[in-house]
Amino acid sequence: MPKSARRLDTGHPRSLLWVEGALCGIAAALSPGTALLLVGLLAPGLVSLALDGAPGKPMARAVLLAGVTASISALRQLWLDGASLDAALNLLEDPLRLGTAWAAGATGWLISELAPIITRLLLDARSLIRAKELRAERERLEAEWSLPAGHPPPPSPPPAS
Amino acid sequence: MGTSLGAFPSSSAAGVKLLNGQYEVLTALPLPGAGGGLPAFAARHQPSGRTDFMAVRASPGAPPRANTLARLEGEVIPGLLTPLAHGPGPAPEGGEAYYVICPEPPGPSLAAPAASGSPWGEAEILHYVLRPAAHVLEALKSRGLTHRAIRPDNIFSGGAKNPVVLGCAWAAPPASLQPAVFEPPYMAMCAPACRGEGSIADDVYALGVTLLTLALGRTPLAELDTEAIILRKLSRGSFEALAADAELPSLLADLLRSMLAEDPAHRPSPALLLDTSTARSRKVTTRPPRRAQRPLTLDANPVWDVRSLAYQVATHPEPGARMLRNGAVTDWIRRELGANQMASTLEELVRWRAREGGTEDRRADSILVLRAVAVLDPLAPPAWRGILLWPDGVGPALAAAMAKGNEELAELRDFIISHAITLWAAQQGSRVDAATLRQQAQQMELWLRARAWETGIARLAYALNPLMPCASPLLRGRWVISAAELLKALDAAAAQPEVRRLAPMDTHLAAFIAVRQDHSFYLDVWEAARAGPPARLVLAELNLLVAVETRNNLGPLPQLSAWVGEHAKAALELWHSRTRRAALQQQLQALATGGRLQPILTLLDDPAALQADAEGLQHALARIGEIDAELAQIAAGSSTRAALAERIGREFAAGATLAALTAALVAAALG
Repeated sequence: MPKSARRLDTGHPRSLLWVEGALCGIAAALSPGTALLLVGLLAPGLVSLALDGAPGKPMARAVLLAGVTASISALRQLWLDGASLDAALNLLEDPLRLGTAWAAGATGWLISELAPIITRLLLDARSLIRAKELRAERERLEAEWSLPAGHPPPPSPPPAS
Repeated sequence: MGTSLGAFPSSSAAGVKLLNGQYEVLTALPLPGAGGGLPAFAARHQPSGRTDFMAVRASPGAPPRANTLARLEGEVIPGLLTPLAHGPGPAPEGGEAYYVICPEPPGPSLAAPAASGSPWGEAEILHYVLRPAAHVLEALKSRGLTHRAIRPDNIFSGGAKNPVVLGCAWAAPPASLQPAVFEPPYMAMCAPACRGEGSIADDVYALGVTLLTLALGRTPLAELDTEAIILRKLSRGSFEALAADAELPSLLADLLRSMLAEDPAHRPSPALLLDTSTARSRKVTTRPPRRAQRPLTLDANPVWDVRSLAYQVATHPEPGARMLRNGAVTDWIRRELGANQMASTLEELVRWRAREGGTEDRRADSILVLRAVAVLDPLAPPAWRGILLWPDGVGPALAAAMAKGNEELAELRDFIISHAITLWAAQQGSRVDAATLRQQAQQMELWLRARAWETGIARLAYALNPLMPCASPLLRGRWVISAAELLKALDAAAAQPEVRRLAPMDTHLAAFIAVRQDHSFYLDVWEAARAGPPARLVLAELNLLVAVETRNNLGPLPQLSAWVGEHAKAALELWHSRTRRAALQQQLQALATGGRLQPILTLLDDPAALQADAEGLQHALARIGEIDAELAQIAAGSSTRAALAERIGREFAAGATLAALTAALVAAALG
């Protein structure tokens, strides 16, 4: 099996995982405060990263991105306070800051769950409208051209989702 | 005849239908006995005001003699009531009748009590009857015509010592009103309508019997029925049968002997009758047929001679054919009559019959009888399944059978398509013009060719009888003989609501138009359309009517166009587009009130528009196919839509959060 195929099967290349792990380790070694703050604030995203089995991990991606968005001000504050472990712990002890980050993650999750459902509803509605238009056109044609009885009936309308 | 019209008002008022634009038929003034067996009425010549004319009424089943009328109309032949005009006129009971206008007879007929009470003298007969009649017959012969209604009640005298006048013989088929005794046996054995034009020799025969009647002061054989008269004439010879016991002056007896010869070729010509001394010296060597010692019994009828045998076989075809096949006839002819050659010829015919068809083959039996009768008695007419008819009597025979509506029509059809005339002519040798008869038979067969045999037989009847009225039930009470009059009559008939419920076309109308307008093509189209959808039939009917309208340049026919307009709605079914149909219906209603048929046909029978309509339907069907496919795709696309919604939703979530992150980074960067 070619390499590219193997990468697609796993969804995450093994070599890249090593690189990421190494980079994380280097980052944690260089700036442990930052690493600690990110782990704390992005805990829901990290959990969803582990739980999301879908290819491309779309749900984890949304949760992480939302969490990162809510963590920017905390990171900025950490770097202003010297990016120490104490500063990271002080920031993590602030329930508002932690709650905001986690709520953002939850919002990301909610968006990733609701968006397909809403999209499905929109697509079904569009199909229903189209089917109705087609049936009306068919009836007009039948009436106009006096089609004989027994002409094949139209297919049944699509089931409601 | 002394009709007094002095008190009869002149009806020059408008509304009186004039025959030929000149003659008014006075139906309130019948002339009994003047029409030679047909009803006759006084007639007035409007331009001159003269009233010494009569109108002889024809019967639909016995149409007038078109050819003779065409040749004689307007001619003056002294001693003959020649036709002056003919055409439809008012019938006494209402409706229309067909009349032939002739001069009024100069006096009572020779059959009237005053004239027929006592025997006439020889000189009177020769001077006042024979000579004038012979002059008339010679004049007719020179024109290639015959009279065929010579008998005492159709010969008129203006008084004693006046030459007689032969009556009207034009308003009915030839000889159709002649009693059997006045006709040669070979004419009398045919039904009245089947006797044909015959020849002038047949008139000479009838004149002979008339002279004999006058000489005797009574009608000979008056006590016998037709069958007995025929059989007696056949077995004894006409002169012996009619005048054997009579005491006749020698000159008259000699004349009558030749005038009543069985073979027309042996009778004197009219010119010869004018010179009685020469005519009497013309000896005719005809002998009565040889009589057998023992009779042959055919269907319980004892037969003693070969002519009677031919007659019995002809009139009893089934037992006749059986006895021919089993050899009884040939054995009897050989044993009793010694006619070996005739018997051999019959045996050859029977062998042919065995080769041609099985024992139950009715047509082969009929042909066997036809040919056997021609061999047994060459003077006999063609015999077909009990019907005896001369080839030129086919037309009147069809008209009569059609009026009765009986099964004889089918037999007459078989007679023609079986080439019976040609087969009969082939047995006649030089006695008939076989080539001409064959051509005529082929022409009849062509007219008969149609999908439905009723149509073919009607077409043949109209073709052979130019003055036969169209027998369509739609024209009841009207005498229509031309296609132009047909549309006018239909226009008048359309005023009746019960007629309007029917289609303006039927078998008789179609066949009539095909013959009178020579539109066989449209007849074929109409016949083919009868098996198809009503819309096509309506168009075919319309085509026939429009063909007549176009060719005859007729004026507006408002009732007919309204009738056709109502009926033609069925043709709208040819159009598939509802919108187009609605538009056409509106136009049709407008045209139906216009009195013209051609625009209606043009509107409905528009090939280009019909083609466009058909293409429109095809496009509609194709579009419906596309719609059905798309609907099926929508119905089956639920899982596809779900997968699509999942992908789009996830992408949207990623996009939204990424956009939020970007906005947050920008905000952080800006401070």
